[in-house]
Amino acid sequence: MKYTAIFFQYAAQYLKTRFTYRVDTVIEIISDLLSQTVNFIFILLVFNHTSFISGWSRDEIIFIYGFFLVPFAIFGAFFNIWDFNERYIVKGEMDRILTRPIHSLFQIVLERMELESLFGVITGIGVMFYAGSRLGLSFSWYDPFIFVAMVLGGTLVYSGIFVLIASISFWSDSPTSIMPMIYNIGNYGRYPVDIYNHVIRFVLTWILPFAFVGVYPAAYFLGREDWYVYAFMTPIVGSSFFMLSVIMWNIGVTKYRGAGN
Amino acid sequence: MIEVKELRKEFKSHSSRSGLKGAFRDLFTRNYKVVPAVNDISFTVKSGEMVGYIGENGAGKSTSIKMLTGILTPTSGMVKVNGMDPHKEREQFVRSIGVVFGQRSQLWWDIAVQESFRLLKKVYNVPDDVYNVHMNHVIESLDIAPLLDKPVRKLSLGQRMRCELAAALLHNPPLLFLDEPTIGLDVLVKLKIRAFLKEMNEKYNTTILLTTHDLTDIEALCERVIMLDKGKIIYDGKLVNLRSNWGEGKQIEFQFADLTMTKERLMPLLAEFEAVWTPGDRNNVWVANVRNDEQIISNVIGRVLAAYKIIDLKVHEMSIEDIIRNIYEEGITNG
Repeated sequence: MKYTAIFFQYAAQYLKTRFTYRVDTVIEIISDLLSQTVNFIFILLVFNHTSFISGWSRDEIIFIYGFFLVPFAIFGAFFNIWDFNERYIVKGEMDRILTRPIHSLFQIVLERMELESLFGVITGIGVMFYAGSRLGLSFSWYDPFIFVAMVLGGTLVYSGIFVLIASISFWSDSPTSIMPMIYNIGNYGRYPVDIYNHVIRFVLTWILPFAFVGVYPAAYFLGREDWYVYAFMTPIVGSSFFMLSVIMWNIGVTKYRGAGN
Repeated sequence: MIEVKELRKEFKSHSSRSGLKGAFRDLFTRNYKVVPAVNDISFTVKSGEMVGYIGENGAGKSTSIKMLTGILTPTSGMVKVNGMDPHKEREQFVRSIGVVFGQRSQLWWDIAVQESFRLLKKVYNVPDDVYNVHMNHVIESLDIAPLLDKPVRKLSLGQRMRCELAAALLHNPPLLFLDEPTIGLDVLVKLKIRAFLKEMNEKYNTTILLTTHDLTDIEALCERVIMLDKGKIIYDGKLVNLRSNWGEGKQIEFQFADLTMTKERLMPLLAEFEAVWTPGDRNNVWVANVRNDEQIISNVIGRVLAAYKIIDLKVHEMSIEDIIRNIYEEGITNG
């Protein structure tokens, strides 16, 4: 309860700062939308010639991509921790975080929030509607609720992975090179995993479970019944992975060495 | 208030071998060295005390302060601050302390000072009525009312520091840690901050632990000092005792009319007084370091005046800074 109140306080403050830099904000939103359009066009181009990839139609793949955009946007809005190592460990900003009476990870989420990323949610839903209407998908009354659960699960998977990697900074000095690599791997989750070989599929399901951000949950809405088990595991995998990452984070905090003055 | 027993913090650092060959060997086997930054220190601080925590760079000041504030986990030993274990109960604990790191801002860079205060008020969950009474007082004493609607990045260092101090005291903590609070500030701001800290200490009985390189801060504020060297406490006691134990000497500075005065010519004058001549900042300035004894002082002055013409004469008491420098150079031998 208290955390929610603090969250809104920070969000309000964030918007206020944003409005003072109007031009900046507008440019950022435009560039955000632009990069999403480019991605979208790219998908259309790639799948223009081949209408099926191991049993997936072009519109299904577009649908998965659209779904992926939603948890990815939420992740992007709240977990800007790709520069955690430089910003908080090397520069010693973590000292300040640790002298405040709120969980350290939550404080970083609050400080680094980038709410304009949430526009990606709209783009994603738009893409899903486009692909969904072409596929003639029908939705029942409970589907929006399942959608929310799936999106939350996917967001937690994504965030969990990056929190886990950020936690390495507490032990090692230079994990920065891993971050971009994992970002790239994250992109694989937006394509049907059965187009990859077994090893990659296994990795994307159990080690770096990016598949739970895109394909698996989207498979539910596409009515792919053979994938339902995976689809419904999304919230479970999400919450357990995120919990694991928070535990690692908490252990990491006790190993924090601080930066010299 | 603060209770520390055999507190120790070790850092593991690997010492790299030299050269390319060495770097290559480092890839496989590393030489780890365990360095104790804080080496089994013990002390207690009572409620309402103002303690100066001093030491050279790398003496372990920052590390021990970080353990006291819950930022770092101790390797071994016991810390109890405000009845809590700072690291284990961190979120609860930090509500009872205020922290100012002189070289690091607690405030949000882009937003107005009062917005920062508002956020912190929410973070510390301070009720409105308590906040209003207390903060109005703080804002008035620090004279920061005109700064409240300016973003932090537009403030000067002195203005920012006063706002930092106000932010640290927003929840009126009984214990305040200040790490280099006056670094880089001009004299007026320093005086203002000192007066403010004194007032807080009198009004709320706030306990203050202060590290600084500026010993005049300590002289102005602290009755007690804890001195660290290489991770160990080398002195813990009253500041006045420090002066009476080690600061017994006087320095008599002569400026001679003769511009080519040499040590050899001065030496015979003070042969039986165990006095030492040290060169001053100019060629014709020499300082006699003597024991604090009226007989000796008058004798030295008399003899020098009888032998040579002088332009100027000054008698200095040894400053705390000199005393501390002596202690670091010679170690505590006569204590």
